[in-house]
Amino acid sequence: MNPKDITVIVPAYNEENTIIQVLGELKDRGYSVIVVDDGSTDSTSKLLQRFKDDDRVRVYRHIINRGLGAALKTGMEAALFRGPSYIVTFDADGQHDPDDIENVCKPLTEDKADVVIGQRNFNEMPLSRKIGNLIMNLITLIFYGVWFPDSQSGLRAFTYNAAMRINIKNKGYGVSSEIISEIKKNGLRLISVPIKTIYTPQTISKGTNLAIGIKILIEMIINILKKL
Amino acid sequence: MGVIVGLIGIIISLKRFKEGKTSPTVFVIWLLAWLSLIIISISPYTTSYLANIMGIGRGLDLILILAIIGAYYLLFRIYIMIENIEMELTRLVRELALREGDEE
Repeated sequence: MNPKDITVIVPAYNEENTIIQVLGELKDRGYSVIVVDDGSTDSTSKLLQRFKDDDRVRVYRHIINRGLGAALKTGMEAALFRGPSYIVTFDADGQHDPDDIENVCKPLTEDKADVVIGQRNFNEMPLSRKIGNLIMNLITLIFYGVWFPDSQSGLRAFTYNAAMRINIKNKGYGVSSEIISEIKKNGLRLISVPIKTIYTPQTISKGTNLAIGIKILIEMIINILKKL
Repeated sequence: MGVIVGLIGIIISLKRFKEGKTSPTVFVIWLLAWLSLIIISISPYTTSYLANIMGIGRGLDLILILAIIGAYYLLFRIYIMIENIEMELTRLVRELALREGDEE
């Protein structure tokens, strides 16, 4: 597996505390990186300036915040343009271990799957987060008809072809479930691979919690109403 | 009184339609609205009659219920409009980001 064949997309919103370290670690391992700065209001944008002339870390900036889904889609379009063999999505808050990128890409290189999503250890999760994630898994099952053990995980790997067929429309946190639904719709092979989770106070404050879960639920219901 | 308002309304709507300011669909909707106003003004009992058929109390209740349903429908449409604007905005922001990021 040649790291040069892998482009890592890092969507970032106000991650001044971790962004430089995360990008550094990815760069050290030889990956091509695409950062999407989703209208950060802290010093993230300023910190990313240092990569201005770096051809292995490309920075794209949304001038206003549009949401995780929008950032991922922008990252995907930028990545697909250059035709990498594999595309990986990776969190900017330090929750993911860069060494896991190899683990999620391995089944792709062995042609055992078209998409691999890292599965976090639910037993190591704080309770509120665990409940939020379980609820989101249920919502994914009810609305999209797919059960995936960790639907909200941000560490995903796609083959180029799989990434081309995924069409992201959701612009917020509901995108995680939507991606799984798109995978099913296109008949792609999806498997999960266990990954490490690094919990810092940072990651606890963001991410899936009950409030966001409810918001996503309402969004989905409205989507159904619209189609009527 | 309502008959007079209704007739004026029809004339104005017709005029706007002929001038191309209103689409056929909207014109028909307005036409129906004015006609309803005229009919109700001439014989208020029509609302009571309709209301009784539907099992609702008074004619006024029927009008109020229809008005509320209409209002909710309008709100729903407005929500959809806002959503569309949000999507367009995102497309715009993305286009800017990709152009800026890809310039060598």
